Amino acid sequence: MIDEFVGVILSGAKDRSRYACEPRASLAPPIRSFASLRMTLTAGLLLLTACSDIATPIRDNFYEWRLIVPAASGTGIDSLTFHWPKDRLPVRVWVEDAANLTQNVPKAIAAWRAAFLYREFEATIVSDSSKADIIVRAGPAPGIPLFSRTRFLSAFAPECVGATDINVSDDHTQLRLPIRIYIDPRSNPDVPGLNDCLALTTTHEFGHALGIFRHSTVATDLMYADPVVPAPSIRDLETAELIYHLEPDLVPVGP
Amino acid sequence: MRLTTLLPALLLAAGVSALQAQTEYYARLGAVGASDLLRDRIINAITVRQSIAPMIVLGGSLPVGPRGYRVGLEATLASGKFHSTETGVDTDLGRIRTTSLLLGLEGPVGHDFRWRLGLGGLRYWPSDDEGIFLSGGTTRFLAGTGVDYRRPVLAKWDLMTSLRYDFHRFTTDALESRGFSQTQGVSRVSLSLGLCRSTR
Repeated sequence: MIDEFVGVILSGAKDRSRYACEPRASLAPPIRSFASLRMTLTAGLLLLTACSDIATPIRDNFYEWRLIVPAASGTGIDSLTFHWPKDRLPVRVWVEDAANLTQNVPKAIAAWRAAFLYREFEATIVSDSSKADIIVRAGPAPGIPLFSRTRFLSAFAPECVGATDINVSDDHTQLRLPIRIYIDPRSNPDVPGLNDCLALTTTHEFGHALGIFRHSTVATDLMYADPVVPAPSIRDLETAELIYHLEPDLVPVGP
Repeated sequence: MRLTTLLPALLLAAGVSALQAQTEYYARLGAVGASDLLRDRIINAITVRQSIAPMIVLGGSLPVGPRGYRVGLEATLASGKFHSTETGVDTDLGRIRTTSLLLGLEGPVGHDFRWRLGLGGLRYWPSDDEGIFLSGGTTRFLAGTGVDYRRPVLAKWDLMTSLRYDFHRFTTDALESRGFSQTQGVSRVSLSLGLCRSTR
């Protein structure tokens, strides 16, 4: 449903010049004289000028990202899109020094920045948690009523589990900061695969903090509920890229 | 034995000396402006463009034939910002340096003017490996043309004003990996002023 909806939006993005600029045999007349050679060169130059735009890709490789919640009016459902606005960049991230988070969070930020061609997202690590937009802690997530109203639970591996809490205002217009991420190493540090689990779970949770408020249904995507791939897939990247070019419903507020 | 060694050395030295006497060197400072590096569309139209950038030009040429033609090499270095524009909003994408090297042929037009045609390469050096330069810079073929105006100011020195136009097709590894195909035609125009050591 959503794929069809956004597909209609994106149909305007398909670059028709991809086909218009393909060489055609009929455009090459036989060269009989210097005059015809000159005409051919002129025609070639004109063709070169006419086809001087790069062919943009068709970006239809995305999945549902929106937060689906009961409508603020009380009847029906509401679907909410969020991305960090340019005037809030770089997003300030506070990281607890535990569970490899100080190594994994910068890697997660770098992995998601690769989604963007035009500096749509930037993040920086800060030392003061009271001024952070995103707080990343090691350990299990507390009870939901404590900080948030919506929780994305992810990565149900035996080695580790992740969660991201967001707090949306009752009228569905604001996202109250900070976003809180929890990375819980459930096993002892010597268990094989723990470090990989922590790394991919951290990157996955950052995908939620970026604005992907749903899980992919495809196991080869990092945003799959129980992720196994170590890095964002092209579907993950294109979904994130798309979000940052849509009008958001939620505006970040605070801290 | 000594003669066979000495003679080519003397001839070579004489040749080099003659070449040096006929070689013109120049250095100029100016500014270069370019058309869009990229036109994209993600819901809205997005363009990426370099700002007008200061530029330094160094070059030299040697005579070929009796009718005033010369061949030469011209190198440029420009450094400036580049930005994207989406729905009228600009985003700073950082700094970018471009270097170019053009092998050219030049000839007289009349009075103090000379024409120039050249082929060579252009290299983009982004300050950060990210965005459209995530996989680093790129090197492109370059074709250029231009006009020089020279006016003697000293016995061996000319004031040199140059107008240049060049064209290349732009893409990067990062763009190709994201599904962009073909290339973007980019035109650049530069105006520069400097001094040329003449062979008068």
